Amino acid sequence: MKALLSFFPAFRPVRGLFLLTIVLTTVTVAAGIGLLGLSGWFLTAAALSTAGAAFNLFGPSAGVRGLSFVRILSRYFEKLTGHSATLRALSDLRRWLFGRMFARLPLPVSIGRGDLVSRLMADLDALDTVFLVALGPIAVAVITGIGMSVLLALVLPVAAPLYAIGFLVATVLVPVALVQVSRKLGNQAAEAGAQLRTGILESLDGHRDLALFGALEATTDRIGVQAERLSMVKQKLGRLGSLAAAAVQMTSAIIVVGTLAAGIDAVSNGRMDGPVLVGLVLAVMASFEVSAVLVRSASRLAGSIAAAERLVDVAGGAAPVDGVAPEVSLRAKAGLVFRAVDFGYDARAKVLNGVDFAIAEGECVALRGPSGAGKSTVAQLLVGLLQPLAGTIHVGGVDMAQIPLDALRRHIALMTQDAPVFHDTVRNNLLIGRPDADDTALWAVLDAVRLGEAIRSLPGGLDATLGEGGQSLSGGQARRICLARTLLSPAPVVVLDEPTTGLDPQAEAAFLADVPRLTAGRTALVITHADVPATGFRVLTLRAGHIVDEAAGPA
Amino acid sequence: MSSLLTLRNLSAPTTTGRMAMALPLVSGLLLIPQAWLLAHLLQGTVVDGLSVSLLGAPLVYLALLMVARVVLGFGADVLALASAEQAKSRLRRTLVETLFRKAPIWTASRSSGALSAAMVDQVEALDGYLTRYMPAMVQAALLPIAIAVAVLPVDWFVALLFAITAPLIPVFMALVGWGAEAANRRQATAQGQLSGYFADRLRGLVTLKLFGRDAAEIEQAGAASEALRHSTMGVMRIAFLSSAVLEFFAALGVAGVALYVGLSYLGLVNLRFEPFSLQAGLFCLLMAPEVYQPLRLLAAHYHDRATAKAAVAEIATQFGSASVEDDQIPSATAVPATAAGARLVLHDLCVDAPDNRPVVCKASFSLKPGEHIAIVGPSGCGKSTLLEAIAGLRPYRGSLLLDDCELDQIAPSQLHEIIGMVGQRPLIFAGTIADNIGLGDRTADAARLQEAARRAQVSRFAGQLPLGLNTPLGETGLGLSGGERQRVALARLYLRTPGLILLDEPTAHLDVDTEQAVLDELMGFARQRTMIVVTHADAVAARMDRCFRLVDGQLLPMPVPKLPPAGRRSAA
Repeated sequence: MKALLSFFPAFRPVRGLFLLTIVLTTVTVAAGIGLLGLSGWFLTAAALSTAGAAFNLFGPSAGVRGLSFVRILSRYFEKLTGHSATLRALSDLRRWLFGRMFARLPLPVSIGRGDLVSRLMADLDALDTVFLVALGPIAVAVITGIGMSVLLALVLPVAAPLYAIGFLVATVLVPVALVQVSRKLGNQAAEAGAQLRTGILESLDGHRDLALFGALEATTDRIGVQAERLSMVKQKLGRLGSLAAAAVQMTSAIIVVGTLAAGIDAVSNGRMDGPVLVGLVLAVMASFEVSAVLVRSASRLAGSIAAAERLVDVAGGAAPVDGVAPEVSLRAKAGLVFRAVDFGYDARAKVLNGVDFAIAEGECVALRGPSGAGKSTVAQLLVGLLQPLAGTIHVGGVDMAQIPLDALRRHIALMTQDAPVFHDTVRNNLLIGRPDADDTALWAVLDAVRLGEAIRSLPGGLDATLGEGGQSLSGGQARRICLARTLLSPAPVVVLDEPTTGLDPQAEAAFLADVPRLTAGRTALVITHADVPATGFRVLTLRAGHIVDEAAGPA
Repeated sequence: MSSLLTLRNLSAPTTTGRMAMALPLVSGLLLIPQAWLLAHLLQGTVVDGLSVSLLGAPLVYLALLMVARVVLGFGADVLALASAEQAKSRLRRTLVETLFRKAPIWTASRSSGALSAAMVDQVEALDGYLTRYMPAMVQAALLPIAIAVAVLPVDWFVALLFAITAPLIPVFMALVGWGAEAANRRQATAQGQLSGYFADRLRGLVTLKLFGRDAAEIEQAGAASEALRHSTMGVMRIAFLSSAVLEFFAALGVAGVALYVGLSYLGLVNLRFEPFSLQAGLFCLLMAPEVYQPLRLLAAHYHDRATAKAAVAEIATQFGSASVEDDQIPSATAVPATAAGARLVLHDLCVDAPDNRPVVCKASFSLKPGEHIAIVGPSGCGKSTLLEAIAGLRPYRGSLLLDDCELDQIAPSQLHEIIGMVGQRPLIFAGTIADNIGLGDRTADAARLQEAARRAQVSRFAGQLPLGLNTPLGETGLGLSGGERQRVALARLYLRTPGLILLDEPTAHLDVDTEQAVLDELMGFARQRTMIVVTHADAVAARMDRCFRLVDGQLLPMPVPKLPPAGRRSAA
């Protein structure tokens, strides 16, 4: 519940619309009550009147007509404003939440991509209940309950306590109990849904490998079981909701019969007019419109609470303090300096152990070493994705710890080992590196990475859409798209993490030979396990967590 | 697929489903005696002046009727829920089966976000149709008629009014809801797009952040989210408008009955043979909203139907437009007799790339059992595509004989017994390293997993992790480098006994040391087995028996490269 309440601020900008919705809903309910009550009273009075001329027909019948039109209009606009406000708030919330993903990088491994998509889509949509089916109807139910209780206290005091208590049970106790009881199930449902999505996404990504290993049938069964589990939980949740609805209907039946009995007694004792009794009974029946809605919302509220908790979890609680870092000016001249840098996810098992090196401005350096020596870790430290356990890193003459991330990333462009090709056009894939680049610049960089010809042959050229994961490209071509993107960036320092993966030896050699030219005027650090050309590079070798040999490359 | 996926098929009545539709109908019919009793009680009090004690019996009956209706309603809810959940579960399973019958290259060419949204969100979108619309439809079709019949003995004019007005309402509603389906379709598409967008961008969040693109991407996500909002609002507006139209006509109907009964009481209208009793009049008034109630319910759930239709259309779009349909036809039943090593004969083989460009044309060569060959060539020339065709993952023309059986005639399950392949981007799923290796053979015990991990050099990095092979891996193998993923995939292979091994750049991400260790073990495993390796590395090609270069769709024999002495340690 706390999680759900924490999303209230998101609804603040549209609170005017919500207030209007509550007013309109109250009008709708009141008109409904009035309509039935007035008709009952009018008919009975007419039946009892003996002389047609003596009865004022005009007033009540105009009232009936008026109330029905008020009800139709207010209902229409109530739905419109309520949904409009909620959807607006949710849309803003979704945008904010996606932004939080960036702020939280690297994302926790425990939450899979399918799960994240689930949270951004289904869980967020489940928050619509906060106002649409919970707060709004609760407010209206309270107003209606008080109003009707007061009315009863005035005309049929005996029935007022029964009505007040019954209404309290139907609109407060039953929904609250329902939410309490179904919370655990709500959590389970959200989890089961996310698991199903993750299972499906995995089998989509790995369809080929699953086919190759003959695991398709087993996977079908596994997803089938996940779907079953989701169904079971949803059935249990739904059953609880139906049970609550039945409880509310039972309460309303008791109130109607009770009010009727009390009313009959009052009429037969001459304490109340017949027409008033008929009007009153019909009005009481009409007022239960509110509680019926409320139960339906309560059964969804449990799901919303679970969804809210999952959203809070992924948004990572409070926003981090950033942006207050002092303005620093990074001087490209100062290069990159690692001094006694240690890194490890666990202090006992260090990946880097006293790494020392310096790269001067304009230098082109290759960092080599066996798999798992920590080469990629150096790159991630450089762009602030990881923080060193000990030692200092100076970028552009400033201690890393003092550099705001934004400034750091303007200074260093990194091509990560797992950089993806996005499901988007060639142009948009490249513009990520420099949003204001023109076509000439794009073609130039594509030609530079020897991809110009391949892209020109695609239908649409720069506007050709690359498939998901760039799978309509070969592995090597996909890497070169990422490379072109990185080279396009105006950053004075370029870091390439295994840029030649997927290239054949000739292309790899040709590419590495090109790197000094492509990065001319910038500082370049190339992390690779490949042999680097004899000229143009200074070679650093990383082995077992430290630089073992800072000699120049093979002459 | 299209025959499978219609709303009618989805809602094929089961016993549960039929009961779920019958119970609300019974409950609706009980409204008639309930209203009659209520009117009777009010007449007794107001007109006949009876006291509570004399009206005790009808009061009890009324209470009992109300209780019965509550119980019926609960039962109907539970049954509707059960039958809807069954239907959704079934559909999801069918969709997975449909997916897996398609070729993996079909899956690879689609957006996984959109496909998974179809299987999760769009199936869920059928919920309202199955649980609410279907029962409401049955009620709307039968209850107004039943009520009109029940009112007939009381007043013929009111019965006539019901019989005429009730059927008119759906006509008006249909007019208003004309655009509902298109609007729903737009909404489903917008939803699929947004979900696909998130799935795609979440893969590369780090890259986007490193280039400072977070603000722009958040903007784009906001725009896509707004588009979804607008299309959702479009759907809502139509739904609200059609229910307002319905309310309008229902109100007209109720007001008409009230006015007619009132005027009859006052003697201003006289269409009856005998004067109206209060009970008869109240009964007519109480029944009037109930005639329109099923229709209002139907209108309220009308958008559920439109949503479901849109969802079905979206699912059909995602799954139905396969360009390469079911190339792994189950009718393929050939069973090759494969010994330790398979014999492979290519004759005039042609394979097309996804863009229909031929990558291999008229290639012919044969592989003796136990022979090892390397295929090299410039990147992007189609080596991987050729390998996938040999693995039975792509359609081909010409002839591809595996142990004298045509490849596309071999049942997939048989084929995958014989062929062991490690591709360039192996699947790493959420689970431990051991789980991931175990994909190769689910029956493998810890000792075999350990041994496979050792041979594939997985132990080199897994040994340094506190949990070893029990280290959990993220969904897309976060935490593993490219070389590490490749080795986990190799370990899977070592759990199997393939007659033909297909490897796509098995050492692409490895340093020289690890590469040699991986190759030593691989050559041991591949002894007597037939093997094709696509590679850039001379170190790999040097260990093969023969070498081919793939250039311009032609497979040309070339000499096996010689390694400088330092690189050659224990050639096979």
